[in-house]
Amino acid sequence: MHTAMSKRRRILLTTVMYGAYLLVAFFFVAPIVYLFVSAFKNDTQIVTDMSTIKAFLPAGEMSFDNFRDIISKVHFFKFCKNSTVVAVIDTSLCTVINAMVGYALGMLDFKGRKFMISFVLSLSIIPTEAIIINRFIVTNQAGLLNSYLGLALPSVAYPMYMYLYYNHFKGMPKELMEAAIVDGASYSGIFWKIMLPLSKPILSTVAIMAFIRAWGDLLWPTLVTRDETYRTLPLALRALSNDVYIYWGQIFAFSSLMVLPILIIFLIFQKQFVSSLTMSGIKG
Amino acid sequence: MNTNPNKKGHLGDAQARTAWLFCAPAILLILVFIVAPFAMSVGYSFTNRMLVPKKGTVLSFTGLANYIKIFTSSTALNSFQNTFVYALLVVPATVLLGTLLAIFVNRQMRGVKVFRMIYFSPQVVTMTVVAVVWSFILSSNSEGIMNSLLGLFGVEPQRWLQDARLALLCIAIMYIWQNLGMQMLIILGGLQYISEDLYEAAMIDGCNNWNKFWNITVPCLKNTLVYVLVSTTISSLKLFTQVYVLTDGGPQNSTTTVVYLLYKAGFINGQLGYSSAISVVFFILVFAISQFQNKVLGED
Repeated sequence: MHTAMSKRRRILLTTVMYGAYLLVAFFFVAPIVYLFVSAFKNDTQIVTDMSTIKAFLPAGEMSFDNFRDIISKVHFFKFCKNSTVVAVIDTSLCTVINAMVGYALGMLDFKGRKFMISFVLSLSIIPTEAIIINRFIVTNQAGLLNSYLGLALPSVAYPMYMYLYYNHFKGMPKELMEAAIVDGASYSGIFWKIMLPLSKPILSTVAIMAFIRAWGDLLWPTLVTRDETYRTLPLALRALSNDVYIYWGQIFAFSSLMVLPILIIFLIFQKQFVSSLTMSGIKG
Repeated sequence: MNTNPNKKGHLGDAQARTAWLFCAPAILLILVFIVAPFAMSVGYSFTNRMLVPKKGTVLSFTGLANYIKIFTSSTALNSFQNTFVYALLVVPATVLLGTLLAIFVNRQMRGVKVFRMIYFSPQVVTMTVVAVVWSFILSSNSEGIMNSLLGLFGVEPQRWLQDARLALLCIAIMYIWQNLGMQMLIILGGLQYISEDLYEAAMIDGCNNWNKFWNITVPCLKNTLVYVLVSTTISSLKLFTQVYVLTDGGPQNSTTTVVYLLYKAGFINGQLGYSSAISVVFFILVFAISQFQNKVLGED
C-alpha cells in the first residue's frame, strides 16, 4: 500500500518535471522555430499567422521562394563567401599564432618570459571596443581598408587566448620535452610534431571561439568595409532589414542560412562547442 | 648572423631563439593593432584631432576639454546612464535566473541532457539574427506576437522598440534570452562540483532545503557566481550590435550606449579626439567595475 502510494507520487513528480522542462524549452526554442518556419512563408502568410500559434508552426503555404530570392536578388552567397573567407583566415591564424605564444611562455625557458606573461595578461583586460576607432585609423594607414586582410588580421593576436594556451602548455609534462631533445628534436619541431597533436581539445576550443566571433562580428566590418564588395553577412542582414522595401520572408530566409553553419558546428562538436563558449565567458 | 648550434650553452640559446621567434608574429600584431591604438586613444583624447582633418584647423593640444565635454554633455551622460541601466537589467536577472535554471536541470532524469542543450541553443544564433527575430516578435502593431500573447492577459498593445521607455528593456530581454542557457551550464558545472557528502551531513543535522541552499549551495558556488557576474557585466557594458541593428540609438537616445556613442562620435561625426576620450573613460570604467566585483565579492 505504502510503496504503491510513493510510486504513484514519483510518477506524478516525474510528469510534472517533464512538463516544466517542456514549458521552459518552449521559451528558448520558440524564437528559433519562428525564424526557421517563417523563412518558408510569404509575407502575407507571416502577417496573418502573427497573432496566433500558427506563427510557430509550418502552417499554410510553404515554399522555397524566399531562399530563391535571397540567392538571386540579394546575392546571399557573395556575402557568405566574404564571411567565410574572413572567418577562415581569422580562425586559422588565431588558433596557431596564439598557441605559439602559449607554448613559448608555458614550456620554454628564456629571459623576458616573466615580462611577456604579465604583458599578455595586462593586455587581455583591454576591451576591443575601447581601442576600435584608433584600430580603424591604424588599419587605414596600413592600407588595409576594404580587404579581407583588414577584416581578419586585427583580431588575430588575442591576449586572452594566449593566456589560455599558456595555462594549457604549462601543465604539459616537461619529461616529454626532455625526451624529445635527447632524441634530437628542435624546440620548434617539438611544438609542431609533439605538442600540437597533443593539444587538439584546446586548439578546437579556441578555433570555435574565434570562428563564432568572426562570423557574428558587426562593429569591425562596419568600420573597415566601404561598399558591398567585402560586406559580411551580419552587415548585409542589417542592410536588408533596414531596406525601404522590407521583405519579411527574405529576412527570415537570410537569417536562417546565416545561422546554419554555426548550428552545424554545434551539432557536430557539441561538447567542444559548449566548453569553448563557457570558457570564453568574457566575450570580446 | 652567427647561429652555430655547436657553441657552448647552445641549449639555452636555442630555447630563447625559438621562444622569441614564436612570439614574434603575435608581438608584431599586438603592437600594431592593440598597443598603438591604445596609445593613440590616450594621446588623441587630449587633442582636437578629427578623422578627416579640416582645412584651416590646426591640430592642437586641448587638455581635458574632451573629458569635460563627456561629463557636461547630456548626450554623453545619457549614454553612460543607459549603459548602466542596461547592465542592471541584464546582470541580476542573468545571475538569478541562471542559478534557478541550473538547479532546475541538476537532476538525474532521462533526457535532462537534451533539455540542457535546448536551453543552451539560443547561444548558437548570431546576435544580429537574434536582434532581427526579436524585433519581429516585439513588433509594435497590435497583431504582433508579443502583443497578441500579452493581449490574452489583458495587457494593452505596446510599441516596444519604438517606445523610449521600453526599448532598452527589449534589448535586455533579447540578450538574457540568448545568454541564459550558457550561464546555466557554467553554474551547473559549479553545482556538480559540490560534494554530495555536505548535503548528506546537512540532512542528518535536520536542515531543510532552504537552509541547505543558503548554507551549502551558495557559499560553494561563490566563485562560479562571481565569474558569471563579472563576465556578464563586462559583456553587457559593451552593448552595440543590437542597438546598431535595431534602433540606431533611438528612440530619443534611449538606447544610445557608450560603445555606440564612441562609434558615432569617432566614425560618423569624425571627432576622433572626443571619441578617444570616450574610449579611455569606457576602458577605465570596465576595468574598475570588474576589479571592484572581483575584489569585493571574490574575497573569502
